[in-house]
Amino acid sequence: MLFRILKNSFLKRPKAVLLIFLSITMGAAVATAFLGISGEISHKMALELRSYGANILLEPSAVEGGFLREEDLPKIKTVFWKYNITGFTPYLFSIAEFSAGGKKERGVVSGTWFAKQLEVPGEDSSIQGIKGIAPWWEVQGRWPEDAAEAIIGAALAKRLNVVAGGDVTTIVRGRSQQFRIVGVVTTGGYEEEQLFAPLVTVQSLLQLPGKVSRVLVSALTVPMDDFGKKDPATMSKDEYEKWYCTAYVTSVAKNVEEVMAGSRAKPIWQIASAEGALLKKLNSVMLLLTVLALGASATAVSTSLMASMAERSPEIALMKAVGADRFQISAIFVGETLLISMAGGVVGYLLGDQLAEVISRTVFSSTIVSPLWLFPTAIISALSVAIAGSVVPLRRALLIEPVRVLKG
Amino acid sequence: MSEHTIHTPILQLTDVRKEYGSDGITTEVLHGISLTMEQGEFTALIGPSGSGKSTLLNIIGLLEQPTGGSLLMQGRETGTMPEEELTRLRGKSIGFVFQFHHLIPAFTALENVMLPLMLEEGRLTPEQRERAVWLLTRVGLADRVDFKPGKLSGGQQQRVAIARALAVNPPLVLADEPTGNLDTAAADGIFKLLYEINRESGTTFLIVTHDPRLAKRCSRVVELVDGRVVS
Ligand SMILES: Nc1ncnc2c1ncn2[C@@H]1O[C@H](COP(=O)(O)OP(=O)(O)O)[C@@H](O)[C@H]1O
Ligand SMILES: [Mg+2]
Repeated sequence: MLFRILKNSFLKRPKAVLLIFLSITMGAAVATAFLGISGEISHKMALELRSYGANILLEPSAVEGGFLREEDLPKIKTVFWKYNITGFTPYLFSIAEFSAGGKKERGVVSGTWFAKQLEVPGEDSSIQGIKGIAPWWEVQGRWPEDAAEAIIGAALAKRLNVVAGGDVTTIVRGRSQQFRIVGVVTTGGYEEEQLFAPLVTVQSLLQLPGKVSRVLVSALTVPMDDFGKKDPATMSKDEYEKWYCTAYVTSVAKNVEEVMAGSRAKPIWQIASAEGALLKKLNSVMLLLTVLALGASATAVSTSLMASMAERSPEIALMKAVGADRFQISAIFVGETLLISMAGGVVGYLLGDQLAEVISRTVFSSTIVSPLWLFPTAIISALSVAIAGSVVPLRRALLIEPVRVLKG
Repeated sequence: MSEHTIHTPILQLTDVRKEYGSDGITTEVLHGISLTMEQGEFTALIGPSGSGKSTLLNIIGLLEQPTGGSLLMQGRETGTMPEEELTRLRGKSIGFVFQFHHLIPAFTALENVMLPLMLEEGRLTPEQRERAVWLLTRVGLADRVDFKPGKLSGGQQQRVAIARALAVNPPLVLADEPTGNLDTAAADGIFKLLYEINRESGTTFLIVTHDPRLAKRCSRVVELVDGRVVS
């Protein structure tokens, strides 16, 4: 019976059906597109944010005088969260006397990797170093390429009155090393008071072969939530597992700390929390937009159902008069809308998926794989829209008094 | 039915009243109607416009609740029945023919007739279909089964409505000015049809009409003036 009546309504009220179908399709399409690209947007955004600098600092755990070992560095590429680690670079510093053209100045000499080809057995080869994790550095000249080349911070360069092409002699505890300056670096920070040279050269200058005094790590992380802020030491085994398997900056830091002997990893909170806050806001905006889109389409559904209800009120009155009970009236009314919304959900999903793909191709120039949960989510969104949009019209329909409509 | 059966009247109204209005300003439209109808009667309900005929018919049809008095349907008190039971009783026991036929324009004649059957059974069976076809044949529309109401004349539409009223084979059929919008010839035809069905199947009819000529052909005439039965 239901099917028969539904079929008739469908075929004979194409305008109302089309209107409701379109509203639901649009809602489902927008929801699908938003949810489909939101993962991608977060990911892309997080990657962009990584250019604001490293978010994890590794230091020797000993209170004073300890060092990390350079030979441990490749292990960073093998940890559980290795795919989240976008780059890292070691440093070895010391206070030094710099002299150039008769001028003498104190400053910091810093040995590091600039763009080191890193081969780790079993892993893809990668390039690690300052160039990767501090893309905002501006180098006038070029980056060092051999052991006796260096770049110099702009402030120190000014004090020493050197430019690219000049030489600077660096003296640490009586040992000296001459560097050919190939670039002057502007960073806007304390780095401008330093001279950056290849790690290996500084190690030998300081007589600390194989030693590193800190490592900066740049990692993709998820925003800290209440659970992430809990102290891992107080967690149960299951909680700890969950924490460890969520890419919080703290759990990635812990992960890296475990492979670097004698190290202590600290999140760089200015960066990590600003980034987390931004991503969280972004996610809420996406969610809000999705909810708004669905709300708008529910409103549209409600409006067209109201109109179609007004048009059908004699019919509903008549069905009541010839014995249709509340349940049957509701079933006819909601059943019809739910059927339309199923179709709307499927079509909306297909459209939204395409839309998400187009957006991610044109805006992010990347292809996305739509997550498995997206289809059920689209259908459920469509059904929710249909149900939300039906509430008011259905109540009106149930309140129709046959006598009012039918009285001769 | 044997003469020894203690029979119940199909309809028994005692002092039925109906007020309309709210917030203190009420007008009584029916001032205490008492009326008994026996199974198989063919009764005309006449009276001037505004005398309360439609209101009374709707109360009998369980579409409206009286504000006073009692209404027994086949011996059962309806005043205390919950909404769903009234709906069920109405669907099963009462057929309606309205002045403006009120067919569903999107349905064919056959589907309109099957509607009460579908609502009652909750599904569609071949027997229902057969019965609907038979009813349409009976009202003279065998060749119009698949026509939509828009393609039928006023008289034909009213015949579909009559077939629909008879669909669940209810003991009582209520008709509110079924010929009010028809020309004399069509009105005569409809009236004759109702009369024949009454004869054939023993269905009780209560027919509101303006037309004294038609009322005269009924076995009983109830006249309503200003909300009171005068004869
Ligand atoms: N729903 C209603 N609300 C208020 N007054 C009504 C309502 N229905 C009918 N009436 C009034 O009741 C009286 C009888 O109406 P009705 O039963 O339609 O008379 P008839 O069918 O005999 O012409 C009229 O005065 C009409 O205005
Ligand atoms: Mg009337």
